[in-house]
Amino acid sequence: MPQSRAYLWFIGPALMLMFVILLIPILIAGGLSLTDYSLGNTGAAFVGFENYERIFTRSTYEKMFGATFRYVFVVVPLTVGFGLGAALLIHSLGRFGDLYKTIYFLPVMAALIAMAIVWEFAFHPTIGIINATLERGCGTVLERWNWYAQGCERTFPLWLNDRDYAIWTVSFIGVWQGFGFNMVLYLAGLTSIPPSLYDAAEMDGAKRGWDRFRLVTWPMLGPTTVFVVTISFIRSFQVFDMVEAFYPQGGGPSKSVFVMMFAIYEKGIQQNLMGIGAAITVVFLAFVMVLTLIQRWLVERRTHYV
Amino acid sequence: MSQISLRKIAKSFGDTTVLNDVSLDIEGGEFVTLVGPSGCGKSTLLRILAGLEAADAGQVEIQGRNVTAIRPADRNLAMVFQSYALYPHLTVAQNMMTPLRMRDLDRVGRLPVLGPLLSRTAYRKMRDRVADVAETLQIKALLDRKPGQLSGGQRQRVALGRAMVRQPVAFLMDEPLSNLDAALRVHMRAELSELHRRLDATFVYVTHDQAEALTMSDRMAVMMHGDILQVGPPNEVYLNPVSLDVARFIGSPQINTLPGEVNSAGGLALLGVTTEARSTSVRQAVTVGLRPEHLSMRMAGRFAGTVRHIENLGADIFLHLEVGGAPAPVVLRLSPAEASGIGLGASVNFDFEPGKMLLFDENGARLSLTQTAREVA
Repeated sequence: MPQSRAYLWFIGPALMLMFVILLIPILIAGGLSLTDYSLGNTGAAFVGFENYERIFTRSTYEKMFGATFRYVFVVVPLTVGFGLGAALLIHSLGRFGDLYKTIYFLPVMAALIAMAIVWEFAFHPTIGIINATLERGCGTVLERWNWYAQGCERTFPLWLNDRDYAIWTVSFIGVWQGFGFNMVLYLAGLTSIPPSLYDAAEMDGAKRGWDRFRLVTWPMLGPTTVFVVTISFIRSFQVFDMVEAFYPQGGGPSKSVFVMMFAIYEKGIQQNLMGIGAAITVVFLAFVMVLTLIQRWLVERRTHYV
Repeated sequence: MSQISLRKIAKSFGDTTVLNDVSLDIEGGEFVTLVGPSGCGKSTLLRILAGLEAADAGQVEIQGRNVTAIRPADRNLAMVFQSYALYPHLTVAQNMMTPLRMRDLDRVGRLPVLGPLLSRTAYRKMRDRVADVAETLQIKALLDRKPGQLSGGQRQRVALGRAMVRQPVAFLMDEPLSNLDAALRVHMRAELSELHRRLDATFVYVTHDQAEALTMSDRMAVMMHGDILQVGPPNEVYLNPVSLDVARFIGSPQINTLPGEVNSAGGLALLGVTTEARSTSVRQAVTVGLRPEHLSMRMAGRFAGTVRHIENLGADIFLHLEVGGAPAPVVLRLSPAEASGIGLGASVNFDFEPGKMLLFDENGARLSLTQTAREVA
């Protein structure tokens, strides 16, 4: 009996699309990263690993990694933590749960560029609501706090344009914008925990809320947490639009907000240095790949209960 | 003083009344079954006893102490859930150890890594206890596995084990066998009864399966529509039900119910045939209940029917007869020898043992019967 080749027709379209829009572009990016190609040039010289060498030695790229990792390691724990906290609080509510869900989810749905403009006004040193509010506190007990007293004496920080504050301010907005998404994922995870487990925990003597959280909630949210953390990592590595909106001139004060995605854009598109842009892309891809592999491993090893 | 007493427990969810002033006393060491069709409130009653649900009114007493306002963890009861509710991320041993960890260890002892190092004796004691229980339940080989790697029957045992590691006042079981396949269920019935004898503990068992209630309990409470209709030993409930609902619910195949009439002299006519039975009441339409095993096939039987269906259970054969005047088929139990040669459509004469007749009035309440001893041919 001749073997049927029908399976080719089933996997063919998906396979072809994956090659055309994913694998081949990645290979091309990998290839370009070894050259000094610019858009419009007819040819390009092979430069070996020079682009990568530059990424790991030049101070601009050191700043790029610094900004990226600062952002990622502030935003990921905080969005996951706040997401879980908000989800637990909302889940425990009988009424108004939907209202809070909507409120916290709004920033996720809002266009970040528009939100960036609003935040820019809020953080504006003279007309912004943040510093205006802080000034109201001058002359009160808050002045015992050294930082606050200094702010009153001179001015409060230029949140977005001081290189000591810029990346943290951007991270704050990232957290504000991102945790609602994690909250929704955690809410879905919470509803899927069988209530009988809480009954069993109660019968077993888990009297305090913390005991029940440790015994039931946290382990049962394991798969959700792995997913949420991975998604948050990838989303924070991808941060771009906010930086572009705040600092179209490139990377913020002293390049302190020069995150990877922005670097790719600046090098590859604005400066038309496709080679180096491709090299940063490959490094970026490597980070995401490692994270994804860790996630797969965790899901299979640690949290796959059934 | 009884071990557990429930006093006038009432509960409703919204407009639906689930329990109307239910009272029940359970003695120490007893195996009490709450049995009833689904939605009768039996699980709710058990959850109120456990404290997982709050009653709208009424009082729960355990060993003479009013625990109505006390939380489940402080009532010292153990519960086996229908879904087993094992912690999927913990091994069998850890699952069984959880009640001991939660109750016997202080905060330091419960710390993830340091705990076992700091309270070594406590942990050794707990491990020994778990090993003992595992030995009893024959699940020693499974101690290092996760619940996900176990079969239904094994999970069932682990859930039992988790309840057994400490000495609770009573074991509460909420339909623990309903997720098992039929053969295992029958096997586990015997094992649970055996376990009850060995532990000499109080068991409160909820089931919708009247067979489980009949086979395992010391006493059973038949519940319907939020009321306990009858409490008593299985035999008593089976042979002497207080109402038509109880008679119908207990026993499989269901009891036969035939229309009858009591005349002014107290004589009973069944399907138009005057019988030797006498009722103390007079002149009313009644329902007569007769269990399939109390009917017998006789040549000279006063009743006749046509065989419509034959149910062969191996040791017993049930004939379903269409009888004129009876609203539902009459079921008759025969031995295989008696049933041989009877085919569908055959006409069969039958009669009943007069002493076994159960009489109910129009509302389903039981009527007493005075018997004139007369042998039926």
